[in-house]
Amino acid sequence: MKDIILKTSNLTKKYKDFVALDSVNISVAKGDIYGLIGRNGAGKTTLMKVITTLTNKTDGVFSLFGKTDENLTETKRRVGSLIENPAFFASLTAYQNLKYYSIQKGIVDASKIDEILKLVKLEDARNKKFKNFSLGMKQRLGIAFAILDNPDFIVLDEPINGLDPIGISDLRETFKKLNEEKNITILISSHILSELYAVANKFCIIEKGRIVKELTKEELDSECSKCIVIKTDDTKKTTIILEKELNTTNYKVIDDTEIRLYDYLEHTDKVNKALAKNDINIMGLYETGITLEDYFKSVIKEVE
Amino acid sequence: MFNIIKSDLYRLFRGKAIYIVTAVIIFLSVISIVTLSPGHVGLSTSSSNLSLENAELLAKISTVNSLKEFRDVIKSIGTFALDKEVIGQNVNLYYVFIVVVVIVLTVDFSNKSIKNTLASAISRKKYYFSKLLLVLGISTFFVLLNNYFTYFLNITVNGKEFASSFMEITKLTIYQIPLIYGIISLLICFAFSFMKTSTFNTLSIPFIMVFQLIASGIITLFRLKADIFYNYEIQYALCNLANNPTNSYILKCAILGIIYVIVFNFIGYNLFKKAEIK
Repeated sequence: MKDIILKTSNLTKKYKDFVALDSVNISVAKGDIYGLIGRNGAGKTTLMKVITTLTNKTDGVFSLFGKTDENLTETKRRVGSLIENPAFFASLTAYQNLKYYSIQKGIVDASKIDEILKLVKLEDARNKKFKNFSLGMKQRLGIAFAILDNPDFIVLDEPINGLDPIGISDLRETFKKLNEEKNITILISSHILSELYAVANKFCIIEKGRIVKELTKEELDSECSKCIVIKTDDTKKTTIILEKELNTTNYKVIDDTEIRLYDYLEHTDKVNKALAKNDINIMGLYETGITLEDYFKSVIKEVE
Repeated sequence: MFNIIKSDLYRLFRGKAIYIVTAVIIFLSVISIVTLSPGHVGLSTSSSNLSLENAELLAKISTVNSLKEFRDVIKSIGTFALDKEVIGQNVNLYYVFIVVVVIVLTVDFSNKSIKNTLASAISRKKYYFSKLLLVLGISTFFVLLNNYFTYFLNITVNGKEFASSFMEITKLTIYQIPLIYGIISLLICFAFSFMKTSTFNTLSIPFIMVFQLIASGIITLFRLKADIFYNYEIQYALCNLANNPTNSYILKCAILGIIYVIVFNFIGYNLFKKAEIK
């Protein structure tokens, strides 16, 4: 079983009468790239701010590396973060800004700064002042700051916001590199599911401060991919017929009444005939399959 | 805590602000010494011969045509300790302290870099007290620069008859320190309460003058007995401390300064502890 890096339990944040987080329960395991998806104002940033202690929770608990929120100060050293827009000193260069934080964090080896600037592809902007940076460069410097102290876990709030396609692709590569080569667990948020889909392996949809759905990439693929949905009261017998009569094992039993078949997409009639011939009570048989964005919309709609 | 202070010093020495403030202090000191007059911001608190209420002196000054004539007029009223007069007007440094708070502290709020610091392994307590120590440290440096630069330059330019002894200057500096730390603590309290540079500036820049003006107005209007105000209001107190204060007065001012430090930092820290970092 994987180690749990972050676990929240009934985490709640209220601003007077407004509930920004409503009993949030999530867990991020070691090695995950955990995508937090939600519309603007859904509670993504608030959740990240609570985790990074930039704001106080109203109720519930959370733990980082097994330590609860009362004993977090030292554990926070293992966490890097980029919350909202990257914020640095405008008149300092990229190198000087990172040097400032490396002194603050007690990092002695200054060569690490150049190493990190290279990793986020900012080595050419080393001596450029932050105020002259493009948005993409600012985001990359934010990520450089987040990984400055060799963290085991980084929290990135909408790091892809406002970037051009090449910038997005560069960052995606960086995230994968950090995750695979440096074994860094990542919690990343966005309001665009397709962007997160390209990097994350676990997803959590948040709406109106509540967790609406938490699913793995495989589950998301399965929810979104094109398939034939067979609704029946006897899934066991149906699977036998699929295997024996239609010679396919490319199906998934979703629950007691639903099977998803990923073959015979152009031949629904053949499936229907085979099941009917074997006296299967078919309550529904239809094709489905939606885009990531449509899936996101449908999940959100369920809450509304 | 030491790392936060070190990193801020690294940043400050790469910016212009600290050098500009140093240059301004030196410039004002040079002006005071060359003109043999301590500069002053705010309502008059001076009790010396150099007071503008001295009509005879004013009349003479209005006729001068050069700096040399101006200096001769001032010298004609007799010798006095110019360095002590300058130290008596140390409330001028209030505006320097505002700049120090802005460059050390509120800059973190305005560019939101405070998020980076607090999201890492630095507690709010460590952050608060590191910033407090650094502001006090840099402000102390500027007070010492102002007092001792004035002292040495004054001896060089105007001679010993217009100067006090080194020990006297040191004593006066020490007398004023508790009250100066008190007023800096008030500024720190403002900064942590509002966490916004514009609000901090709007409030702190006119504060000292407006407070004195309103208090003086009320005292005059209602003909109140105002010994406490004239003894312990910050501008009057700093001035009084430079003019042969009694031991009991020095002690009372020191206690007042310590009370300010404790009260304002207690308020500031407790507000910051619960604050939402935007």
